[in-house]
Amino acid sequence: MSSRRSYLIRRVLHGFMALFIIATLLFFLFRLGLPDPTAALITEGLNPEERERIRASFGLDRPIWEQYFIYLANIVQGDFGYSFHYRAPVADIIWERLGNTMILMLPAIVLAYGVGAPLGAWLSWRRGSRADTSGIFVGLMFRSAPMFWTGMIAILIFGIGLGWLPTSGMRTLPYDASGFLDKIFTLDFLHHLILPALVVALYYLGSPLLIMRNTMLEVYGEDFIEMARAKGLPERRILYAHAARNALLPVVTQLAVTIGLAAGGQVVVEVVFSWPGLGREILNSVRTSDFPLAQASFLVMAAFVITLNLLVDILYTMLDPRVSFK
Amino acid sequence: MAVTRFNRTLLASAMGLAAASISAQALAQEPVASIDLMTTTESYDPIRYEAAFMIAERWEELGFEVNVQPTEFSTALERFYDQQDFDATILGWSGRTDRLDPQFFLSTLDSRQANPGGNNPGGYDNPEFDALFDQQSQAFDQDERQRLVMEMQELYKPDAPLVVLFHRDEVVAYNHEAFDGFEPMAGEGLYSEWGPMEATPVGERSTLRIGGPQEPDNLNPLASTSVWGWKWMRLYYDRLVRLSADVEPLPWAAEAVEQVDDTTVAVTLREGMTFHDGEAVTADDVAFTWNYYLDQDYSYFNSYLAALDNAEAVDERTVHFHLSEPSASFASISLSQIPILPEHIWSQIDDASTLSPDEVPTVGSGPFQHERFDRGEFMAISKFDDHFHADEIAVDGVEFIIYADMEGVYTGLQTGEIDVTAWRMEPGQISLAESEDHLTVVNVPDFGYFHMTYNLRRAPFDDRAVRRALTMASDRERMVNVLLDGRGEVGSSVIAPVNTFWHEAFIERFDFDMDAARAELEEAGYTWDEDGRLMR
Repeated sequence: MSSRRSYLIRRVLHGFMALFIIATLLFFLFRLGLPDPTAALITEGLNPEERERIRASFGLDRPIWEQYFIYLANIVQGDFGYSFHYRAPVADIIWERLGNTMILMLPAIVLAYGVGAPLGAWLSWRRGSRADTSGIFVGLMFRSAPMFWTGMIAILIFGIGLGWLPTSGMRTLPYDASGFLDKIFTLDFLHHLILPALVVALYYLGSPLLIMRNTMLEVYGEDFIEMARAKGLPERRILYAHAARNALLPVVTQLAVTIGLAAGGQVVVEVVFSWPGLGREILNSVRTSDFPLAQASFLVMAAFVITLNLLVDILYTMLDPRVSFK
Repeated sequence: MAVTRFNRTLLASAMGLAAASISAQALAQEPVASIDLMTTTESYDPIRYEAAFMIAERWEELGFEVNVQPTEFSTALERFYDQQDFDATILGWSGRTDRLDPQFFLSTLDSRQANPGGNNPGGYDNPEFDALFDQQSQAFDQDERQRLVMEMQELYKPDAPLVVLFHRDEVVAYNHEAFDGFEPMAGEGLYSEWGPMEATPVGERSTLRIGGPQEPDNLNPLASTSVWGWKWMRLYYDRLVRLSADVEPLPWAAEAVEQVDDTTVAVTLREGMTFHDGEAVTADDVAFTWNYYLDQDYSYFNSYLAALDNAEAVDERTVHFHLSEPSASFASISLSQIPILPEHIWSQIDDASTLSPDEVPTVGSGPFQHERFDRGEFMAISKFDDHFHADEIAVDGVEFIIYADMEGVYTGLQTGEIDVTAWRMEPGQISLAESEDHLTVVNVPDFGYFHMTYNLRRAPFDDRAVRRALTMASDRERMVNVLLDGRGEVGSSVIAPVNTFWHEAFIERFDFDMDAARAELEEAGYTWDEDGRLMR
């Protein structure tokens, strides 16, 4: 067991190291990439002294190394700084936006994997059949179609044409929610969720479907399947209890990466459906040169991906005891 | 060698010239400096990007070597304003209402604005112009001021320090089955401060719904630096003066504005005004507000406060504004910009710029009162029944729905979710909107403009003849027709034609004319070499 513990400690340390490197990269990329980080703060026709005063008020007149260490120290304390554009703490903005994003992405991903993985297993069982070819075709099609296109078609049909579903936002305004839970546990919210979640789910569906199908096909050739068959177990049981369990590993990896990246939101779907999520916010922050907000958003995304990768590694050790801890 | 018709004429004229002056002088001539033409990237603004190539094509035809440099927007701004490191640059000025006063656009040609960071990066330097600028800015008499402003336009135009390329119409739409009665305002469209006061419900709903992709940066009247913050805030804050839809200063919270002497403006407040929390609006609040803005040194408004020494409450309803120098635009423009803040709330706040969004007070005295702002989603205000203008207002409130892009806004308009667009529609949406029965499409002329500014410190732009020739070689008619799809107007002066009171219509026009451009250069002693390259 001790090797397992040291393995985990090592992985966590690696995670922190990666975050530190990313934070550093982000800091310098934004400073070097933007000609004038105060562009967002400065309006036309401002004289140089006033400009200097504003720069000073955000600490931008200090040497870059000093700014860097202040930035690192602040991050450790969970302080992501102050948004230039909104004049508000970055953390507040990000947490709220992240919540909005996850409440769209999680149901969509659960739907995609909940349907995609079993469907892939089933297709592998029926490989070569018409169901198999059309299943692969549909999966690939939605995976390849640009999300804004699928989204706009969905809006055209269900929003404008049939008028069944709302086409933008998270709720029918002016509905005033008393809190996050109040915002999401309403029928109205579900009504708004359907279209964007479906579009995201259709997009993601292809991965678990294809991965599951292909891994299953490989697993079918393994000895233990032969063994199960020889024991006379029913085909259905072999499929789901024996083959599927083993084919699940790559799907789980893919799922974790997907959830991690989902933290950044699908910018496209958030824009098409005017969903007030983190992806849309990142886009805005880049547009307004609001780099405290942009760099913190990217850092949060990175933290998500790293954490979920870590979780996958832990899950692996549980799903497949043969995974070694080296 | 294939000789096109154009080359033939060029050759003919060049040969004629050569025959006349194939002398030591001609041999000593050198090609003129090549031109870097800086513009925005295609993704930032395809119109300016394309315009640059249209211009470059004609300039090359004239014998110049031109490199179009699409530049990332903030880099372009920095190189233009701060470093003044450019040959010729295409940028724009937005038409903010306060710029309808000639002061601002004329200042972009004032030599005292030519230092790095100033508003005259081209470096136009004409002492006569500067002198007139000072005279007009101190002329309280409107007619006298108008005469001076016209004279300034006549004065600078033949020098061609810049080309006003075009004014782009703002095309907006509203649902006339829900609301009507709008009067579009130049540079503002339908979402002006008058929009909600003029809109009349035609359908069942009496809450006006506006939709747009832009939202306020914040609602702090001492930190917001965006037009979108102020477009919203001025609905619930009163100003002493409001600019009418025809951009005439109207006394608003002020009952009267009078000039006591050259440097003192007296304002008498309306009787019986209250803030949204029930407290009375007094001269003390007004004086406090202006002094507070001076103290807080909030740069967005600094230009309106520049002439002000201090404000003083003389009695319950009278405020005296003491100016450091006579200023004609103070009474018309400055008084129309600064929102009246309640002293009993803001006097408790030492540094207003650091307030977090939850801490920002939203109590004003305007015709509407603040209800809500959910970032990225929604804003709402409701009618303030105790306001002196309340009886004239037909809506009971305004809701603003924030979309991620214009596509969402248009869908909202189509499905009836919103009644008015706050921002110009995309070109593709205009024809769609025109074909919808329930929508009315409105073209609103702009007084903001896209300009191409020459760096007068550099060759070849230090030569007036070159600037004039290049200006004549800019086919702006075609830009309007092709790039703006006819929805706009060719620029003439920095004061736009739609600004009728201040615009001088009878100045040199510089219509597109390649022959005239060539003649201008020849007259100034330029020649062309056998490749058609311009020599001097």
